Amino acid sequence: MERELIESLLFTVLKVLVVVPVALGVGAYLTWFERKLAGHIQNRMGPTVVGPFGLLQPLADALKLATKESVIPRGADRPVYYLAILLALVPSVLLLALIPWGPAFELGGRVIKPIISDVNVALLLAFAFGSLSVYGTIFSGWASNSKYAFIGSMRKAAVVIAYEVVLGFSVLGVVLLAGTLSTVGIVQAQIERGVWFILYQPVAFVLYMFCMLAESGRVPFDVQEAEAELVTGYNVEYGGMKFGAFPLAEWYLNVIALSAIAVVLFFGGWSGPSILGPLSPYFWFLVKTFGLVFFTMWLHWTLPRFQAKDITDVAWKILLPVAIANVVVTAVVKYFF
Amino acid sequence: MRWLSEEKARRVEKRFGEAVAYYRTEHTAGLKVKKEQLKELLRYLKEREGFKQFVDLTCLDYPERKERFEAVYLLYDPDENERVVVKSSTDGTLPTVTDLWPGAKWAEREAYDMFGVTFEGHENLRRMFLWEGYEHHPLRKDFPLGGYKEVELPSLTELLHGRTDPPSHDFELAHTRLPTLEDLERTEKARLKKKAELVLNWGPLHPGTHGTIWFLFDLEGEKVVQCDVILGQLHRGMEKIAENLHYFQFLPYTDRMDYLSAVCNELAYVETVERLLGVEVPEKARYIRTLFAELQRINSHLLWLGTGALDLGALTVFLYAFREREKIMDILEGNAGYRLTTCFLRIGGVHYDLAEGTLEAVKQFIKTFPESLKEYHALLTRNRIWLRRTKGVGVITKEDVYAYGLTGPVARASGVPYDLRKLQPYAAYDEVEFDVPVGEVGDVYDRYLVRMEEMRQSLRIVEQCVSKLEKLPKDAPYVNKEHPAVMPPREDVYNALEDMVKTFRLVVHGEPAPEGEVYFAGENPRGELGFFVFSKGDGKPYRLRIRSGALYNLSIFPKLIEGRTIADAIALLGSLDPVVGETDR
Repeated sequence: MERELIESLLFTVLKVLVVVPVALGVGAYLTWFERKLAGHIQNRMGPTVVGPFGLLQPLADALKLATKESVIPRGADRPVYYLAILLALVPSVLLLALIPWGPAFELGGRVIKPIISDVNVALLLAFAFGSLSVYGTIFSGWASNSKYAFIGSMRKAAVVIAYEVVLGFSVLGVVLLAGTLSTVGIVQAQIERGVWFILYQPVAFVLYMFCMLAESGRVPFDVQEAEAELVTGYNVEYGGMKFGAFPLAEWYLNVIALSAIAVVLFFGGWSGPSILGPLSPYFWFLVKTFGLVFFTMWLHWTLPRFQAKDITDVAWKILLPVAIANVVVTAVVKYFF
Repeated sequence: MRWLSEEKARRVEKRFGEAVAYYRTEHTAGLKVKKEQLKELLRYLKEREGFKQFVDLTCLDYPERKERFEAVYLLYDPDENERVVVKSSTDGTLPTVTDLWPGAKWAEREAYDMFGVTFEGHENLRRMFLWEGYEHHPLRKDFPLGGYKEVELPSLTELLHGRTDPPSHDFELAHTRLPTLEDLERTEKARLKKKAELVLNWGPLHPGTHGTIWFLFDLEGEKVVQCDVILGQLHRGMEKIAENLHYFQFLPYTDRMDYLSAVCNELAYVETVERLLGVEVPEKARYIRTLFAELQRINSHLLWLGTGALDLGALTVFLYAFREREKIMDILEGNAGYRLTTCFLRIGGVHYDLAEGTLEAVKQFIKTFPESLKEYHALLTRNRIWLRRTKGVGVITKEDVYAYGLTGPVARASGVPYDLRKLQPYAAYDEVEFDVPVGEVGDVYDRYLVRMEEMRQSLRIVEQCVSKLEKLPKDAPYVNKEHPAVMPPREDVYNALEDMVKTFRLVVHGEPAPEGEVYFAGENPRGELGFFVFSKGDGKPYRLRIRSGALYNLSIFPKLIEGRTIADAIALLGSLDPVVGETDR
């Protein structure tokens, strides 16, 4: 019994050691990718100087940010000021624990699931973490002792309250269909039926994408940053790596995690034709996730931004009724057929 | 555009009798009135004679007279296309006209700031550009050019190493007092009495303000309860500078006002001075001027489009706009030698003949630009988020346009077809065909559409200019060097004795202009840029007043933003499109 516990702990630690550095590294490299993408969308080259194709740019950025002088505004609430960084970063990383990267496989007589923690309330946890990360924004705005940061974080609070509700309702349809809250279970439900849930729940998917953009503060919902109005809003008083942590958490880790959850919910997770042998599930999962991340960035560099009051307006008056209707219809259909 | 007609003048004189005197000069016509009847006359002109649009208000200083200040009001009648000057002498006080035209609010504050004339009944008569606590009035004639040497401002070297002999720098240490932080705080407090929860200092250094404007927003949540604007961070005393330079020397300064449309500024200035001096401009020069002014208008509108979209979060449009701007910049650079502050025009013509290949480059631009315009339309015009951010925001009515003296695309978007290129043609505008787009609602979206369409119309003008210039002989004169006030072209100066002597004479003594006054305005991308020149017969103007379109257009901002959010403020400000170099001068 004790041996099993130690073993499972050991495996979990091993998985964490694999997933977290990889995710952070990918997150950092998404900055390079985003800059390249933005560059090409805008008739520019993007980074080209540091390394071939500018590939070493994220390292150079990290080096620059890490060596910057740390400036904390007078009158800042220091414990909360630092807590904000943790609260932004930790929930985004924790989200990664709930993502099933592939099917279970056997290694030396042991069944290994490529997910850090396969809990049966995974989705609930995911949204709980998502809500937690908002505190990072709000604390940073409050602790900075700056009006701009404060207004930015208040906007974010208003937006998140609206979108959390819609997000919860939008995934309920999938949960009803799959009959489980476990991420692995949802993927398996789709594989068993041989169909992706996006076919049954297209409305829910659109709603989910809206909420995902709002949660991760991407255009057209980046009201809390709004550089032209609020000079990047809630993180304006953060400098160096402390500043770097916020976009990393919000724009990259959060987007990766939420895209991965979207893939789990709507695109059949790792399912796909076996083209790479045992590696193909991972391949498919990453391709689908990356597709959604790409879509998010594409929107970011194309669209203008909403106003905060418009966002909440849309959420409460349009999206929420649609989401509820979607749940009701799904439930009724599911009950009778 | 006419000046006050005889018939109207007689009517006014009949009504007011002795108190009003009609006068007419070569370039202007107006009424001189006693201070006591001034308000009554202005009200009469506005309500009965149709002079409902406020153009400008300024002062002149004659220290030798008993009533040393002369206030000058400029009004416009949009129905009859007629202007009038109203003058009144005073020893220091005038009645306010802000109840007739709210647009006079800032002009009166400026006159108070620069001359020390107080306007009785003005709701908040504060300094316009200088700070609270500054006790001088710089545009008075007795203000010394070098300023008052009140405080010593040592350089950093001197602070570190002490005074050296010989000194480390050869400039004077004593300077006019600069505003301290306390002064700025006092200025801020004086402008706005806090009514709501939180006063947000938006600017002076803020990416959304398009320059160094300092907005004060009194916020209730995100809603702006009241707003005030503190200008003057870029105030360089252009008008004072102009009084101390020969006419041709002031030209480069005009570039530095609305630095995004340098050629248009120059055009308005040289046209004014040419009218005063009576200089004929050769045909080729007129077409070159029109060509470059319109290219500059496209250039300026592109920057407005890019930054306006950037403000609303559409990051890509910004770089697309800059791609096209670069082409225009190249054409400008190839001809003028400079990209931004071109200094290309000259009194009597242009500085250089068209550079080789210019017309080909422009033709190429004409070919590609409509495609790019389509691209911008595709990105924004029917975009639902864009519509949500711009429709119904900051609606300006026709009455507001007249009362606030709004001009340019801002006025046209509200349905007032006020385009000086049509109403009072200059350069070659009466020889080219173009339409004046007008809006219906007068919101941010209409201003966006009007400017987008203006770019297309400008392109039409450019096209006609190119085909005309192609037909003109290559050696046609591009500057009227016969006139005594016109600088000869550089190559002549080096090769011909008379031209060299003429240049020496102009640079050292300047060419005296005939006595009189002239007001002329050009249709700039930011509205009516007017120059009011009073000449006493010297080589330098006695007073040169610059009527800034951007300043008047900005003056309606505090009214429009009340009750709206900060996010609207940015959309609104982008649509009014002020350039601080021009608002502050």
